[in-house]
Amino acid sequence: MRERNGVTSTIISYLSSRWGQRTACLLGTFLLVSLAGCTGDRSILDPAGPAARDVRLIWWVMLGFATLVLIGVTALWLYAFKPRNVERTPAQERRIARRWIIGGGIMLPVASITALLLFGVPAGQQMLTLPMSEPPEVIEVIGHQWWWEVRYPDAEGGEVVTANQLVMPAGEPVDFHVSGADVIHAFWVPRLGGKIDMLPGRVNKIRLQADEPAVFGAQCAELCGVGHAHMQLHVEALPRSEFEAWLTARQEATLSELAVADATYDDARDAFMAHCARCHQVEGVSQGGIGPTLSDVGGRATLGAGVIAMEEGAVSRWLQHHQTLKPGNKMPTHSEIETDTLDALGAWLEALSP
Amino acid sequence: MVRLHFTHPIHLIIGLTLWSLWFVAVYSGLSVACAVAPPSPEAGALTGLNAALGGVSLITAVGLVALAWGSCQVAKQHQGRQRFHATVSAWLYLFSAFGVVFAGMPIISVPPCL
Amino acid sequence: MKSVNQEAIEHDPQQLHEDLHTIWGNPKGLRSLTIVNHTTLGLRFMVTGMVFFLIGGILAMLVRTQLAMPDQNFMSPDIYNQVTTMHGTVMMFLFAIPMLEGLAIYLIPKMIGARDLVCPRLTSLGYFCYLFGGIILTSSLIIEMAPSSGWFMYTPLSSKEFAPDLGSDFWLLGITFVEISAVSAGVELVVSILRTRTQGMALHKMPLFAWYILAMALMIVVGFPPLILGSVLLELERAVGMPFFQIAGGGDPILWQHLFWLFGHPEVYIIFLPAAGIVSTLIPVFAGRPIVGYGWVVAAIAIMGFISFGLWVHHMFTVGIPQLAQAFFSAASMLVAVPTAIQVFVWLATLWLGKPKMKLPMLWVMGFLIIFVCGGLTGVMLALVPFNWQVHDTHFVVAHMHYVLVGGMFFPLIAGLYYWLPLFSGRMPSESLGRWGFWLTFLGFNGTFLIMHWTGLLGMPRRVYTYEAGSGWEIYNLLSSVSSFVLSAGIAMVLLDIALHFRFGKPAKQNPWNADTLEWANSMPPSAYNFVSLPTVETRHPLWDDPNLPHTMAKGMHGLAVASHGRREMWGTDPITGKVREIIHLPGNSWWPLFAAAALAVVCISLLTRVYALAGIFVVIAGVFLLRWSWENGAHPNAAPDAGVKPGDPPLHSRTMDGPGLWAMAVFLIANGSFFLSYLFGWFYLWTVSPEWQMPDTPPLSLLITGIAGGAVLAGCVVVEKLVRGLRQQRDAGLRASLYLAAALGALQVGLAGWALWRADLSPTQTTHDAVMLVGLVYALFHGGLAVILTVLQGMRVGYGYVGAHAPFEPAVVALLWRYNVVTFWLLVGALAILPRVIGG
Repeated sequence: MRERNGVTSTIISYLSSRWGQRTACLLGTFLLVSLAGCTGDRSILDPAGPAARDVRLIWWVMLGFATLVLIGVTALWLYAFKPRNVERTPAQERRIARRWIIGGGIMLPVASITALLLFGVPAGQQMLTLPMSEPPEVIEVIGHQWWWEVRYPDAEGGEVVTANQLVMPAGEPVDFHVSGADVIHAFWVPRLGGKIDMLPGRVNKIRLQADEPAVFGAQCAELCGVGHAHMQLHVEALPRSEFEAWLTARQEATLSELAVADATYDDARDAFMAHCARCHQVEGVSQGGIGPTLSDVGGRATLGAGVIAMEEGAVSRWLQHHQTLKPGNKMPTHSEIETDTLDALGAWLEALSP
Repeated sequence: MVRLHFTHPIHLIIGLTLWSLWFVAVYSGLSVACAVAPPSPEAGALTGLNAALGGVSLITAVGLVALAWGSCQVAKQHQGRQRFHATVSAWLYLFSAFGVVFAGMPIISVPPCL
Repeated sequence: MKSVNQEAIEHDPQQLHEDLHTIWGNPKGLRSLTIVNHTTLGLRFMVTGMVFFLIGGILAMLVRTQLAMPDQNFMSPDIYNQVTTMHGTVMMFLFAIPMLEGLAIYLIPKMIGARDLVCPRLTSLGYFCYLFGGIILTSSLIIEMAPSSGWFMYTPLSSKEFAPDLGSDFWLLGITFVEISAVSAGVELVVSILRTRTQGMALHKMPLFAWYILAMALMIVVGFPPLILGSVLLELERAVGMPFFQIAGGGDPILWQHLFWLFGHPEVYIIFLPAAGIVSTLIPVFAGRPIVGYGWVVAAIAIMGFISFGLWVHHMFTVGIPQLAQAFFSAASMLVAVPTAIQVFVWLATLWLGKPKMKLPMLWVMGFLIIFVCGGLTGVMLALVPFNWQVHDTHFVVAHMHYVLVGGMFFPLIAGLYYWLPLFSGRMPSESLGRWGFWLTFLGFNGTFLIMHWTGLLGMPRRVYTYEAGSGWEIYNLLSSVSSFVLSAGIAMVLLDIALHFRFGKPAKQNPWNADTLEWANSMPPSAYNFVSLPTVETRHPLWDDPNLPHTMAKGMHGLAVASHGRREMWGTDPITGKVREIIHLPGNSWWPLFAAAALAVVCISLLTRVYALAGIFVVIAGVFLLRWSWENGAHPNAAPDAGVKPGDPPLHSRTMDGPGLWAMAVFLIANGSFFLSYLFGWFYLWTVSPEWQMPDTPPLSLLITGIAGGAVLAGCVVVEKLVRGLRQQRDAGLRASLYLAAALGALQVGLAGWALWRADLSPTQTTHDAVMLVGLVYALFHGGLAVILTVLQGMRVGYGYVGAHAPFEPAVVALLWRYNVVTFWLLVGALAILPRVIGG
């Protein structure tokens, strides 16, 4: 296309730019969004489990009541400015003042907070890990700077470990045991309920339930350093049988077999041993424990804890540009490695999809 | 005991100080009990610990109500400055008693150490 | 004593003004750095606070620019974290608190009919500590090494391992430095309000503003020390490696959160109370009638002051504290709704029963009401644990917090500034520009933050430097950002209005709003000594009862209309009844506060640059400056060598046993005690709940040696108490010997405690247990040493004739420190040496 000059071209190039499209799109959908604005994969107003649903109900009730109080108080104040010509005796004045102070200053808040306490405290009880006749599934989630380690200690056949994805059974309560490996992070799946801090040296517990199989967004909620904004977790609830199949596919033996199954990736495996193995684990290949395990990385929905979607060529792109995509992350840059090698590495890792 | 008569302004803070002491006692007592000898989670809210915390709260609340009543009686016998201090103190004692009851309500229904 | 009110004036009023001005007036040029006058220093506090407000505001604009669009690269995450951290830090520590303290420093003496605050040199020290600390802290932005772990500095993110830069050190040292200022202002405001009200102003006749400031000052005194302790411990961990907040070694990062929020929650009320005080002052004036329910307001202030210390855990609902403990804090948080509602309805009833006028300051009060009630309602929501778990650390909380702080502090502050502007400058603000400023600010504010509640409910966490397109948060963030620029335009207009009014404002007439309180009896702008004569006050509304009072005061027709003695004087009155007890004489302008603050600034910078030898030297130098300052007291030639007063007048305070210094020492010891109790809390907290706490099998502290040391300090205290009792009965035989004996006993205690510490052979960088023990013993050694030095100095002052039966005051002040030392030392021995032996690990 030939270059054009002037205002038109500026406008056109602006509109075709990323910002321009976004602005137009934002302005165009403003009304629509503000009307339908309760949904979203991290919206607490779009609950997918009993705990979050209770909180949403509490929120709407509290909002309604608070709006009434705010409008009422403001209206009374404004009304008080209306000029009136009433002469009152001091005794009358005292009576009126006392009525306002005792009615509005004492009875109103006391009644409100008593109601709130009575209805509110039970709502939190179901997130407690109270003893149950059939102990729920336990999933351990450990926060690292800036990724998630997820462990299934109860899996049949041995513990299953994965990273940056949390798969859970739907329709039943699940106990999450969370902790932090370095600094404090926070575990929060807004559509299910929560949140709870992930502390170094301690294990916190929370019980959540997803009603139906679905995918939820989650994001670290406690400032944990430069990667805080790029620490997302893909949460997926599966029917019980699929969940168990998912776990079985990630047994140690299965993963080891998968990692070395295809001989065409031998070069990639060598490169991995040379450049990646000290930090990353791939079952059957390496035991590095500093970065996230990669044994099933090809089967995950995202890379870099939610930074880019997993698709063909995604791993290679990530390996080349990860410090731009996720500034400050702890993986060194790979500028010294040839692109071909990174492509090959990426192809092998993408194939690790049990 | 002239200085600690109910018309002395020190009573403006005694009630709330007692509330604070109660609060610290209940909170730290709970924390220490949960760290040293936590009751079994199966027991729910019906534990000895809940009973002890509830007992302390009840005694504190009754004491504060008594002080409120005392202040109120004294306030009626005075005018001016003395009446002002005793009246406000009476309300503050009453509020402190309410504060103990209100903040202590969860003892009835919440299991202690979870 | 006959009524001080009926002194006939022998002087020509004009002559009296000039004489008072010679004594009280401010020097010019370089010597203006020596000024200790509360009017000047209050203005300096406020102007400096406004400068920091603008810095914090620019940081906020940067944040909103970054978040306006998704996936922006306007700032890197590291810079963004520095900017948000500094925005919060600057607004809370360098703007809100000093600004309100500055207003209180400026107004309180004028409102209660005094001529200055009771410790003028302390005001000056506080100002310079604030200024230097603020400059050190903000300079970190220029060298791009600002703290970046959030304004709450959570460990371990702020620890050496995860924040190796100097950022956290800037924060810890700078903030501690600024807090010296806050605590000293707190101490002197408490004493001034209790002891220097004009004759007849009984406690229940004080202006409500004084009640609010009294509560605020007491809260500062009790609430700031926990953070000072936390900062000291964290800086020790970063600098020397004592593991207070590290799991390995036996520490606990959650201890930092407890110490921080133990300060941090009361802080919110420390900011809100003076602002509510402004509202309670303005509403009766513009309603043209006394406030209804004065007693109710006093009760509400007391409730807020106390309850706010029982809420700190509601910032920590997600750290995994037992459910029942959370429920206590949840319920306590809801309780705050009661005193808040009482005040809102007292204000409403006052307007209802009066004839309110919607003048410019009242417009800002209306803005305050709407925004603050909204923030209070979301605050009650946040007190509910399950709801809190969902919205904690999201933009919902950001919105709530700005509603409470901007609504609860900034709007009343601007209302107050407009109201007191004629007092500052003698000119009236412009009504039209002011209204534009208000509406832009009000609409911009709500546009920014009302929407932000929604952003948070849609799941946007706090402190993320960016978010991805498609998250559903884009439009709301854009709206917030656009509105935030409207908000800044509004604030710019207000500041412009205030700046312009100094040049173009119409001259104000005396008492332009027809107010009831004494500050309007000043000349406008006020003179350095406030009032030519100090009136007797019979009711809560002196200027409504006697509109002529400003004139009779200016003519010298009331108390203390004397200047011939050359002293700065005002009444010292009974804290309850307001009866005159003594004449307080105040020190004049002095270099020592500036010198001491400068030495402390050098300490701060050398700690930052890790030149510890220099820091040590300047600690000693600062100590020498402070002691030299204290030397110029009582009967010293620079203070009040001649005790003569007019016949019938009460004695000078330094010639009695009950001067304000005694009260200042007591209030300072409350602050110190809060520090000490926080320390004990830390010890027991770590002992009981820290996951890897190690208690040695044999307790390292010798019971015998510490016991004898405890005996020595007790004996020293008894000696001091005895000599004070003697002074009270006008006996000073053997005074010097007794003081030296007490000092010797104190030295014995210090020596023994030091020996016990040396024998204990602690390894404070290995275990938290040893580190905590070391801090406790160093605390005891420091206080023991301080008591020895002060007692020796008293002995020397007896020799110079500054102390004795004729001037018996100072040993009584030192005696308080002795009592404090006995109590804290024995508590330490009990906690560190006895209890571990009784209970075991």
